[in-house]
Amino acid sequence: MTDPYEVLNVPSTATDDEVKKAYHALARKYHPDNYHDNPLADLAQEKMKEVNAAYDAIQRERSGRTSAGYAQSYGTAYQTRQSGYQQQYQDTSEESRILHQVRWSVMMGGNLDQAERMLAQVSEQSRNGEWYFLMGQVCYRRGWVDEARRYYQTACAKDPGNGEYRQALDNVSSRGSAYRPNGYGMSSTCGGHLCGPLACSCLLCNPGYWLCCCPF
Amino acid sequence: MFGYVLPSEPRLSEEDKAQFRAAYCGLCRVLGERHGPAAPFILNYDFTFLSILLWPPALEETCCRACIAHPIRGREYLPSNPALELAADCSIILAWWQMQDALTDPGGGKIKYRALSGLLEGAYERARACRPAFDSATREQLARLRELELARCGTMDEPADTFARLLAGVSAEVEDPLRGRILEQLLYHLGRWIYLVDAADDLEEDFSSGSYNPLIGRFRLDSGTLTEEAKETLALSLDHSIRLMAAAFELWDFGRWSGIIRSTVYEGLFLVGKSVLERTFHAGRRPWSAPGRNKEKL
Repeated sequence: MTDPYEVLNVPSTATDDEVKKAYHALARKYHPDNYHDNPLADLAQEKMKEVNAAYDAIQRERSGRTSAGYAQSYGTAYQTRQSGYQQQYQDTSEESRILHQVRWSVMMGGNLDQAERMLAQVSEQSRNGEWYFLMGQVCYRRGWVDEARRYYQTACAKDPGNGEYRQALDNVSSRGSAYRPNGYGMSSTCGGHLCGPLACSCLLCNPGYWLCCCPF
Repeated sequence: MFGYVLPSEPRLSEEDKAQFRAAYCGLCRVLGERHGPAAPFILNYDFTFLSILLWPPALEETCCRACIAHPIRGREYLPSNPALELAADCSIILAWWQMQDALTDPGGGKIKYRALSGLLEGAYERARACRPAFDSATREQLARLRELELARCGTMDEPADTFARLLAGVSAEVEDPLRGRILEQLLYHLGRWIYLVDAADDLEEDFSSGSYNPLIGRFRLDSGTLTEEAKETLALSLDHSIRLMAAAFELWDFGRWSGIIRSTVYEGLFLVGKSVLERTFHAGRRPWSAPGRNKEKL
């Protein structure tokens, strides 16, 4: 098994507090919120499991008892995440069957091109809020956030009472930090540092070096 | 199209800076060795960043040799490896792609691109022979972009997808499947971000020359500038792609390149995007035009 201290990137001499801090930082980084609807969500989940197991192992080793604590609460977040998608389709028309299939396929990370083709089969007049929401989901999964937002807007306009559509729209409309993995925090407003001395040293100080710099 | 991917310099340690320079010089050498003396013309930070992303885990010792740009003191550079060769080949093909794209635009300034095309033709033929799959994927996406341009497509996501797929295609040449998957996502959003930032940067010029620019159709613009609302909407897309790049970056251990990639993804790209939207980017991009800049030295 991998050394749990290595996983948390702390020395084995680290204090309990340091271990906890390192664990929290990693758990924030790989939190499902950062990988919601992300094609790499499974890898983040693996990472999270690894981090949880490492923290649990250190806790056990240090206290001599099995710890449930944080590790489990973060670990289950992935499972509960998808419950919001459960929705009953009472209507059994052809159109609603397609929508139901697409919803299931998109939720399970299925083929997006196929989902889009299926959605295209739904006739123009039967395109309801759900149809626009699913088109938005297909776009969102592709990383096409601008199109996704436009579809979510229409979904919300067609079905203003739907909380799921509203939340999807809010998610893509905020530049907030929910999706932002734990990096430097918010970027500073100073643009003056952009590649100043670095560019200078690489490219500009030596006469003749402009030869090697991008001409367009 | 290129020249937007910059690390945020204050976040780099001295070691990072030296390593970045060594990668830059390494790529320059490989370009020259593989594709002839004109090939280093296309060198830029974006392609350096590409080779950093592709770099194999073990880091070689740097070498030092004189070159045409540093004939006396020479420069530290990282010796060639398969990833650097891949980055060099793909860079040539991408630069060629960009030049052909510029040549089909109705706008001016074609003499520069014609001259460069002529110079690079041999290099392109060689790169193409080394990476036939990447070259045909490039042609395919270029044809798709042409179609979208002719149809005056009203979205920005679809044309951005062509360039994004192009860049993501480089990951198909990576051996480790897990690493390939992560790089595919990272490169897809890097390509998407580059395409959109470039569209914002060229908007004024494209508008006056009548060239295709996806932002004109998407925001139904009747001038060459973005409204505040359009800027905000575009920023949502740019930031979203950066966040997805960061999320992908965190899933792989890039070893000694982590500092450089982190500073690019978490800060450099945000700052570049911000200054492009505020129309202040060119001053930062070409610091030699600013008086006093040349005195700065590391």
